[in-house]
Amino acid sequence: MHAAGLFEQQLEVSRNEHLKVQGSVDTNLYYVVQGSLRVYVIDEWEEHTIRFGYQGSFITALDSFITEAPSEYYIQAIKKTELRVIDKNAFNQFMKTPEHSKLWHQLWELLVVQQLERERDLLTSSPLERYHRVLQRSPRLFQEIPNKYIASYLRMTPETLSRIKKS
Amino acid sequence: MKIAKEPLIAELIETTRQNLNALTHFKEQTATALNWKANAESWSILECVEHLNRYGKFYLPEMERSMKNTTVPGEVMFSSGVLGEYFVKLIRPREQQKKMKTLKDMNPLGSELSVKTLDRCLMQQKELLRLLDEAHDTNLTKAKTAVTFTRLIRLRLGDTMRFVVYHNQRHILQAQRALASYVGVG
Repeated sequence: MHAAGLFEQQLEVSRNEHLKVQGSVDTNLYYVVQGSLRVYVIDEWEEHTIRFGYQGSFITALDSFITEAPSEYYIQAIKKTELRVIDKNAFNQFMKTPEHSKLWHQLWELLVVQQLERERDLLTSSPLERYHRVLQRSPRLFQEIPNKYIASYLRMTPETLSRIKKS
Repeated sequence: MKIAKEPLIAELIETTRQNLNALTHFKEQTATALNWKANAESWSILECVEHLNRYGKFYLPEMERSMKNTTVPGEVMFSSGVLGEYFVKLIRPREQQKKMKTLKDMNPLGSELSVKTLDRCLMQQKELLRLLDEAHDTNLTKAKTAVTFTRLIRLRLGDTMRFVVYHNQRHILQAQRALASYVGVG
C-alpha cells in the first residue's frame, strides 16, 4: 500500500516495552517497518501469546480497532521495533475507494481463514501435532521469535518445545 | 470534585503503561546501576521499586476486595472525596515537589534486594492494569478502601486508584533520576 498521508506517525518501541496494555482503547493499525512484536492476554497470572507481528506486516488490537472499546490485549515489542501508525479514520477513508475496497475484502477473508487455522491449532490436543501445523504454516516464526514466546503461542512449556525440536 | 470516569481510567492506564515500560528499562541495567545511590539517605533504583512493592502488597488486594464487595452499578462521573483529593494532590509528581517522610514499614533502606524486586513490581503493574480494566464497570465513588497509615479513614476506590498510580509514577521518576545521576557519575 502506497497511500500518501496514511502512515502519518512514526513510533519506536524498545525491546520488551509495551505499545498497548490491558484496559486501554487503541484504534490504530501498526505497520512493522523493523523488529517484531507479540499480542498476548493474561489469564490467572499466565500470559497467552495470541499473535505475532513481523517486519513488513501489520499488527493491531483487533477487537479495539473494530469496536473502539477497551480491550484486554497487551502488545509488546520482542526486540527494538520501528512502526508506522495508521489512524483508523484515515484507513477507512483509504479503503472506501472501489479498488481498495476489493483489497480490504481480500484482507478480511485472509484474516478469517487465519483465525480458523488458529482455532484448529487450539483444538489439536497433541503438542507435537500443534508444533507441525504451525511450523508448516509459518516457518518464519521459528526464525525470528524467541522460543519462550513460540512455546506460549503453541500452548506448551519451553521445555516441551525444545524437546520436540530436538527429536 | 467531579471527574469524567472514562478519561480518568484511560489516563491511569496510560500512566501505568509508562511505569511498566520504565521498569522494563530498569531490567536492562547492571546490578551496580540498580543498587547505586547518590548518598546514604537517598534511594537506589531497587529501593524505589521495593517501596512500591510494599504499597502494592497492601493496596492491590485491598482494591480487589473493595471491587468484589460493591454491587452498585458503575457511574459516568466519579466524585472525588475531600480527603482523597488531598492525598492525590500531595502525592502527584510535580516540579519542585517537597520531600516526604516515609513510614518505617514502607522504608526500603538497607533491605535485601535483587532483580526479583523488579519482577515483582512488573507483576504488580499488570495486576493493577487488570483492576483498572475492571474499573470500567465498577462504581468508583461508592466502593471504599482502607489506607496504610491510619484505620480512621477510608478512601473512595477511584481516589485510591489515583493515589496508587501517581505514587507509582512519583517513585518511578525518582528511580529514573537515580539512573540518570548514575550514568552521569559513571
